[in-house]
Amino acid sequence: MNTKIEESESKYIVTLEGELDTAAAVEVEEQLKDLYNSNGKDVIIDCDKLEYIASSGLRILFRILKGAKACGSKVIMRNMNEDIKNVFKMTGFINIFEFE
Amino acid sequence: MAKPDKNSSTHSLHQKTDFWHLGVKNNVILNIVLAAILLEAISATQFYFTRNLLADELERRAETELVMKAIIVKNTLKISENSLWGHLWDMERNMEEPDSLYDVMEWVLRSHHNITGCGVAFLPGYFPQKGRLFEPYAFWDNGKIRKEQVASDKHDYTQKTFYKRVMAEDTSIWIDPYYDNITDRIIVTYAMPIHDNKNNVVAVFGIDVSTDILKDTLNYRHLYPSSYNILLTQSGELISAPDSKRVKYSNVEHVVNIINDSTSTKTMSKNGRCKIATFYDPDDNEKGYVYYATFKEKPDWQIAVVCYDKEVFGKLRKMHLILLLSMLAGIIVLGFIVSHFVKNSLKLKEANKAKERIDHELSIAKNIQMEMLPKTYPPYPERSDIDIYGSLVPAREVGGDLFDYFLRDEKLFFCIGDVSGKGVPAALLMAVIHTLFRSASAHENNPARILQSINETSCQGNESHMFVTLFLGVLDLPTGHLRYCNAGHDAPIIMGPTVTPLPVKANLPIGLFDDFNYEMQQTVLMPNSTMFLYTDGLTEAKNSQRKQFGLQRVQELLTRCTQEKKMPREIIETTIQEVHAFVMGAEPSDDLTLLAIHYMPQHFESILSETLTLKNDVRETAKLSSFMKSITEKLELDKSLARQLRLAVEEAVVNVIDYAYPVGIEGDVTIKVMSDNRCLKVIIVDSGVAFDPTAKEKTDITLSAEERQIGGLGILLVRELMDTINYERTDGQNILTLMKLLSNKKQ
Repeated sequence: MNTKIEESESKYIVTLEGELDTAAAVEVEEQLKDLYNSNGKDVIIDCDKLEYIASSGLRILFRILKGAKACGSKVIMRNMNEDIKNVFKMTGFINIFEFE
Repeated sequence: MAKPDKNSSTHSLHQKTDFWHLGVKNNVILNIVLAAILLEAISATQFYFTRNLLADELERRAETELVMKAIIVKNTLKISENSLWGHLWDMERNMEEPDSLYDVMEWVLRSHHNITGCGVAFLPGYFPQKGRLFEPYAFWDNGKIRKEQVASDKHDYTQKTFYKRVMAEDTSIWIDPYYDNITDRIIVTYAMPIHDNKNNVVAVFGIDVSTDILKDTLNYRHLYPSSYNILLTQSGELISAPDSKRVKYSNVEHVVNIINDSTSTKTMSKNGRCKIATFYDPDDNEKGYVYYATFKEKPDWQIAVVCYDKEVFGKLRKMHLILLLSMLAGIIVLGFIVSHFVKNSLKLKEANKAKERIDHELSIAKNIQMEMLPKTYPPYPERSDIDIYGSLVPAREVGGDLFDYFLRDEKLFFCIGDVSGKGVPAALLMAVIHTLFRSASAHENNPARILQSINETSCQGNESHMFVTLFLGVLDLPTGHLRYCNAGHDAPIIMGPTVTPLPVKANLPIGLFDDFNYEMQQTVLMPNSTMFLYTDGLTEAKNSQRKQFGLQRVQELLTRCTQEKKMPREIIETTIQEVHAFVMGAEPSDDLTLLAIHYMPQHFESILSETLTLKNDVRETAKLSSFMKSITEKLELDKSLARQLRLAVEEAVVNVIDYAYPVGIEGDVTIKVMSDNRCLKVIIVDSGVAFDPTAKEKTDITLSAEERQIGGLGILLVRELMDTINYERTDGQNILTLMKLLSNKKQ
């Protein structure tokens, strides 16, 4: 599981690569927890190379979303594959995240 | 929109009813008034005709009275006349000796007490020695007879009517009454001529008769107590009237005036014998009738009889009044009876309407109640492991029995119950219990705890102290593990290798004590066995001889059904048929409720079985990835399905790791994956504390980001990804079984 964060003036671009399962989530959370407070910047999460996500991964995304919402910025999901979109549908996350 | 319409139509219906009600009432009153008028008219007509008859009768009686009285008067007069005639000869013989005439006169007076005076008036100068006028006269005076010559210049008889008329007419006549100043009384005089031998009239012989004697003669008998007779001259002068003590003189005078008044109305009697006049007494305005007629012979006097209306028609009027009043009273009583009857019939009509309405509402209630019960059979056509059939035949429109069942996470929750009492109250409680069963079972698998919860709620405010016997079971379909709890209900019968009642503790019915501890019991249902549940409407069904169907018959019947391998529907239908045949049309006294559950678990022919044991640490889940990948590859599942299965198992396992073991306690989680090539079965077993993930309330995924909580995602995904999820706690282990049909399998 690889996680990459690019920061520009107005936004963060997060690239998730591989399988974000329960075991990987511990490490990913460590890397992304700075984004729990995005300081008003939008967060773009690129899922092009994300193959799998478990609920622990969803929880990290949810906390980023909560933080962004609190300071009026957006979280935008990008390039999500069908299986993961399905998971978003099952959990209702499709209603609370924005998609590109 | 329909509701207000409905209301307004109900309202107008009420108005119509009131109007109709009023109309009938008015009709009754109108009819009674018409009947009263008719009866009164009949009575008035009757009165009219009776009165006319009575008037005619009175006329006849008055005529008879007048004739009779006239005869009596005439006879009285005749006696006096005869006395005169009798002494005429004496008179004529003694004509030459005028003084001897006194003796004859005295004799006349003495022999006829009616005669008050007797005298002879001679032609002037007939006895030269006696002067020009000579009238010897004898009369009673205070009991003595006085005899004297009464003629004088002052008393010149030649000017008197009796003398002039007799001299002129040469015949005997009655002279109209006049006041006699000699005797000081009203008298009538009968006078006749006396002839000399040359047949010349030389004197007038007369007798005086007091009208007093006529008074007695006239009034010795009366038509009515207060009626009286009077005698008048032809010219209308009063000759005789009753004593003033009996009749006031003013009244008599008034009657005389009426008779003499040519302008007053008079009618002839039907026979033409008398005239009739109506009058009113001057003092008291009393109505009276006077009937009068003139004598046919001389003297041509008039005789009258007076009757008073109150005596003639008084009784008739009184009778009529009594009749009228009694008829009126009769009509009023009749009216009351009729109106009471009408009121009652209206009440009856209203009661019938109310009953119809209640019947209608009851039939709706029955429909609602029946709607609550499961009614689609077979209930789970996609499943081959259970078959269920239930039936409720209420004794009345609505019943107090209930049964229900539903599937949750591979567990069949079912119950059967009987509310104490029948009818609407029982049905209402039944509905409550039904709802409580559903809500209490939503997140609880333990039947005792479910019953406890139902009981606690039922006890709250149970002022009517109704109770419910209830049997509640939870059948774990993968294992056949049956957990059950009884609340005073009849034990279900297990139709397996043997037909025997399930051993049940009675406990207490629901609704009595809110702190009662219900005890759970359990058993394992053998494959291909049927559970038969019933209410006492079955065993206590009575025939016309009051004999009960009984448990014995039930067991025999079920044994037959078992031998014939009957399925739930056939079992229930056979039972109902047999009960009907037994009671033979006797009115059912209780609801008849039956529920049969056939259990036939599927044999799982495993072609693959792999096991992985993990420590209760999330980092261990990394091993799951390769474990699941190797299985899905072996089963040649497509990538997407493989990911789904992996995710489901991972979430289930993480859930167990998170919750089954308290912090710091180490333990194992065993994951066993099996497949029969048709479906995949995952069994996750741990030895931690009892934890039922299926009992968790489902996360609401429609909430916004702000409203949503982070928890519950794992179990939500498991439910979404797998076809079934089932939790069992057996031998101190949590066993979570997940199943997925492999329809997405690569071909």
